[in-house]
Amino acid sequence: MNLDQPSRTYTCSWCGLTSSGTDLSCSACGAEVDVRAVVSRSGWTVLPGRRDMAKLQFGQSFCQIEGTYVPVADMNLAASDSVYFTHHVLLWKDPAVAVTSMGLKGAWKRMLAGMPLIMTQAAGPGHIAFSRDLPGELIALPLQHGQTIDVREHLFMVATNAVTYDWFASNIWFSTKEGDETETHYPLGMFLDRFTAQGVPGLLLLHAGGNVFVRTLEAHQTILVKPTAFLFKDTSVQMRLHIEKPAGTWRSWRSWGDRYFWLRLHGPGRVAVQSAFEPMEDNGRTLVDHSGATHRQW
Amino acid sequence: MTDPHLPPPLPPMPGAPQAHRAVDPGAPLIRLQCQWCQSMNEPGALACRTCGAPLDVKDMVSDSGWREAPRIKDMTEIHFGASTCQVEGEIVPVAEINLGQGDSVFFEHHVLLWKDDTTAMSVLPLTGGVKRALAGMPFIISVAHGPGRVAFSRDATGELVVLPLHPGQELDVREHAFLLCSHTVQYTFLRIKGLRNILFGGNGMFMDRFIASGTQGLLLLHGYGNVFERTLRPGESIQVEPGAFLYKDASVTMDVESIKLTSGLFGGTSMNLARMTGPGRVGIQSMYVHHSTE
Repeated sequence: MNLDQPSRTYTCSWCGLTSSGTDLSCSACGAEVDVRAVVSRSGWTVLPGRRDMAKLQFGQSFCQIEGTYVPVADMNLAASDSVYFTHHVLLWKDPAVAVTSMGLKGAWKRMLAGMPLIMTQAAGPGHIAFSRDLPGELIALPLQHGQTIDVREHLFMVATNAVTYDWFASNIWFSTKEGDETETHYPLGMFLDRFTAQGVPGLLLLHAGGNVFVRTLEAHQTILVKPTAFLFKDTSVQMRLHIEKPAGTWRSWRSWGDRYFWLRLHGPGRVAVQSAFEPMEDNGRTLVDHSGATHRQW
Repeated sequence: MTDPHLPPPLPPMPGAPQAHRAVDPGAPLIRLQCQWCQSMNEPGALACRTCGAPLDVKDMVSDSGWREAPRIKDMTEIHFGASTCQVEGEIVPVAEINLGQGDSVFFEHHVLLWKDDTTAMSVLPLTGGVKRALAGMPFIISVAHGPGRVAFSRDATGELVVLPLHPGQELDVREHAFLLCSHTVQYTFLRIKGLRNILFGGNGMFMDRFIASGTQGLLLLHGYGNVFERTLRPGESIQVEPGAFLYKDASVTMDVESIKLTSGLFGGTSMNLARMTGPGRVGIQSMYVHHSTE
């Protein structure tokens, strides 16, 4: 018998990390060990609960998740580790932890799109903590070497420096017109964030409103989600705008009021949604153009 | 055997009440000390009589030294003077006060949820009314008098923080964060010093100050999101997002510092953080009021 081998192995239902399962929570994402994955009949998996004060490890550093309504990510950074974040999520820090700005490409486009212009980074050693100003869940996404994930803008909280940050046009839009005025709407925002673990595994933390649900789509399987409820997806998942409306009424033909705008997600890959999301307001104007949407009348 | 993961027991606060029930003088003295407010409770109690914190759970302390405000169980009852306070609900908790004869509580009028028709009301006499009005602080602080019932809540997800004030304690609180306070506590306000602190501190021009002079009092705050507390040693400091500040002991100093962040041709911005320096307690809320740093 090899005493170096653990007597049992446990695979985390959230992030897939294999461990001995002797801890109370997964060391990579904080999900509780030894709980059944909660899957709805339609196939959505609920983000597994985290024990208060659950501790994650990345590199030589640790992240403790504190609180349940508006959780705090309290990081104990080792001297060799650093993280980056948008500056408005910083809750507190040791005075010794240095905070500097991180260069971003495409500042002009980011400014036009309302995305944060400045990304900040903090280097160890020392403690630094982050939270957002919305009740919800903190999502830990350990990224394995080469793994990439696309995230809706303004959901990103903090990432380790092993994870590279990039962004790309969402290409989900539609235009409405009234008189001579044409307005373009971006239900997902103009851009999506893209995070990739280069070289070594990394950790990405997001904050979602309400509860979080994740689902893996088979190849060619599609699902419609509210654009503002969308959280993140694997890069293999394709997106398209979808419009539904009732047939045969003047209002449904002309105005937004009776139209339903959806985000159509095509598998294969993981997709995630949040239960608290902003409503899309009705401006009641004529739809004149869109990003290649599919249609359905009923 | 002592659990090595538990923090060392906190020293009793000056004036902290002892167990209320009389015990047999011949029996060994067993008392339960509340890990949140250090009050003593009779054996067998499940929640602290003074602050409502559960007595049968471990103190939740993070590695960096923050204590979580105790999650008060639904329907927990707290005693002060001849009155009781029952905490109801968990997502947006309600403090329901059953005021005894001779007792009263004061509060900002927008937190009043309901009251008995017969509960008498009055206004707390305040000095500096013009200054308060200019600073956006409530011009009128209302008082509810016993006997009668009155209930309070705020308008966002969060935690109710119960802070028994022992004689001699002074506590500074972010403006508009206090839910109610018992009449034995003296209420005043202090101007935040320094233009930078006023402009970038995110706490306005004034902070509320609560002073327990002669007798013990009860102060209830509502923190947005989760609430954490940390005790700073003399000279120890920590930098906090100004919008996250909730309360501090009067002995803790607060100064706003700026960190300059640049973004090449597009200039930059500065990030303002409040440096809190001990000795004393600091309380923060995780769903902070975010103030633009542009």
